[in-house]
Amino acid sequence: MKIRNFLLLTFLVALFLGCAGREPTPGVTDSEILIGNIQDLSGPMKELGMALPHGSNLYFNYINGKGGIHGRKIKMVIEDHQYNPQKAVASAKKLVEQDQVFCFYQVIGTSPCEALRPTLEEYKIPLIAPATQSGTMSDRSRRGWEYIFHTDTGYDKQANILVDYAYEQNGDAKVGVIYQDDDYGANVLKGIAEAEKRHGVTVQKEAYQRGATDFAGQVMNLLKGGATHVIIGGVVREPIIVMKTAAAMSYAPQFLGISPTMDHRVVLGAGKEGEGFIAANFAQLYNSDVEGAKLYRELFENSGTDPKVMGMYNFYGFMTAMVLVEGLERAGKRLTRAGLIRAMEGIKDWDGKGVFPGISYGPSDRAGTESVVLVATRGGIQQIISDWIE
Amino acid sequence: MKSRYADENLSWIAPLVLLVIAIPFLIRGVTFSYKYYLYVLNIAGIYTILAVGLDILSGYTGLISLGHAGFLAIGAYTSAVLVDQAGVPFGLSLIITPIITGLFGLVVGFPALRISGMYLGLTTMGFGFIARRLIIALRAWTEGSAGLEVSNPVLFGFEFANDWTNYFLIFTFVVAVIVVARRVMNSKIGRAFMAIRDSERAAEAAGVNLTRYKLLAFFMSAVLAGLAGVLFAHTMRFISTDHFDILLSIYFIIMILVGGAGSIYGAVLGSVFIVLLDFLLIPAFKDWMALFVAIEVADIQSLIFGLIMFLFIIFQPMGLYGVWLKIRIYWKLFPFNPKKRFT
Repeated sequence: MKIRNFLLLTFLVALFLGCAGREPTPGVTDSEILIGNIQDLSGPMKELGMALPHGSNLYFNYINGKGGIHGRKIKMVIEDHQYNPQKAVASAKKLVEQDQVFCFYQVIGTSPCEALRPTLEEYKIPLIAPATQSGTMSDRSRRGWEYIFHTDTGYDKQANILVDYAYEQNGDAKVGVIYQDDDYGANVLKGIAEAEKRHGVTVQKEAYQRGATDFAGQVMNLLKGGATHVIIGGVVREPIIVMKTAAAMSYAPQFLGISPTMDHRVVLGAGKEGEGFIAANFAQLYNSDVEGAKLYRELFENSGTDPKVMGMYNFYGFMTAMVLVEGLERAGKRLTRAGLIRAMEGIKDWDGKGVFPGISYGPSDRAGTESVVLVATRGGIQQIISDWIE
Repeated sequence: MKSRYADENLSWIAPLVLLVIAIPFLIRGVTFSYKYYLYVLNIAGIYTILAVGLDILSGYTGLISLGHAGFLAIGAYTSAVLVDQAGVPFGLSLIITPIITGLFGLVVGFPALRISGMYLGLTTMGFGFIARRLIIALRAWTEGSAGLEVSNPVLFGFEFANDWTNYFLIFTFVVAVIVVARRVMNSKIGRAFMAIRDSERAAEAAGVNLTRYKLLAFFMSAVLAGLAGVLFAHTMRFISTDHFDILLSIYFIIMILVGGAGSIYGAVLGSVFIVLLDFLLIPAFKDWMALFVAIEVADIQSLIFGLIMFLFIIFQPMGLYGVWLKIRIYWKLFPFNPKKRFT
């Protein structure tokens, strides 16, 4: 009798646990994992809105082709936020409630990502690899920090490292910086301020407005100030114009750039004036010899896409997809949002087929990489000239 | 003696309130993703408050403003700083912030005493840019362009923490603003505004103090924008300069034009219509289009907005509210409708 009661009890407990365990996670079925991506498809950064998800899908399709993750294929839904934070939140709510996505991935832009924080908190849904290098993404004093896993080295760290590099090259260097007067620039300045404190110097700071096309004033001021190293906190157009303007003034400092300037279009646009330009980057180049980059080129060529799409941003989508897939793999067969967060926290010194310097997260660490390589333009070709610098 | 508001029909208030209360329950009954729809409606509600203010300024008084996103931003940031950094209670900020924004309205309104038309449009547009620069410059409080996290609204000890409660908070103000604005516009003030719009000289000859009323129009309009800003900051919970760009100001102009300028109801219809179009209908349309043609560059949004404005200005200059008025007259006269009037 007692044994029967015991068995019955065991059975009931098992049933209860079984049911609890099998509570369905949104976006996860036996054959599919649905993830949500919010890109800028029709706003100021729309050229990236296509390149990033295309790169991600290259890797997802590759993984799906190999049988998926624990038997589940990855499917990505893309929404358009037009670089409008408000629309980003609306899209996020739509993705969570209507499409029922499992997690967010690669949402582009600092302010859209920042605006998502209350939503992430509300639904307890993780955001993996936001497509921005702002150091604020891994700032633990901000709301909902535990749901954001930032992969890239922050702009502040990069600026810091670049100032160090300048002083390493030349002990008497005078450093200047041209920064965009917005959230991007603010983050760059934060890093500069830290470096100033450490070296006990002042860096000459010149601001420009987002969308500016004339930098004669800023370059002239730097020339007058006698800066020998100029850090450009721009994107693609700004470094080109700055370097050409400086050349026209016969002013030849060493130009250094924050990672968004590491695009090969800068090399193409700046031509011979861009010779010797050194940009920081938080990962290996798409045309380098590491295994991840080789795989990328192979998959890209097999996809039959217009070769113009190939490049840094397309590869960025690809490599962050590797991070997400790694997290999903580690989260195991029984996939939950909390499980993904725990699994991501378990990633330590993981280099993504040689692409990253070694990504580490932890229960109180959301910054993936904290180092950069320097990429120099020599003879019109971008080459890595340093090891990982921290 | 005839009372002051005797010719204003007030019977619509009760059904309006009932409708506003019923809508979230209806949505929740119909769909699981009600929070998403409520979020969109909340945005529509906030913009409605602002559009009513813009209607008072542009529709009633005939002073164009292309800088209302600036007032919204000032309202939002002022309240965020007051509540989160100075420790002012949210309830008090609901009163102080609109007044501060209203004072900004007076400053901007000052040049309006001398200039009008396109020049005023440019001046106010300049104000929109200045407001953004000001926010970036006042880094110590606003964190510059990095954006500011804002706390939840707390009123009488109750915290509005989700879209559901926010809806009731926002729409209480929407209804109040519509009722008050409608009544004020039917009073001496409203008549003075319309007189200024129709002819400044005639108005002045009839004893309307131009300086006073023009400044009052700007003040009232900015107060409402400030109120919208307070609600915006605390219900969106994150504000940045990216929220308040020049396009948003143009968006507000589209709202009152499409809704029908100079009627308050038009501003309400217009803002709800445009927000729903922008957040729900156009994305749905895009998804539907994507089934047939591959649209890589999704620029349909601006195309559709442009087209709508274009069509409304040509065929329905009185906007959505004008359409409604025509329908109403049609029914009243039915079946004796003079055909020509309604084609």
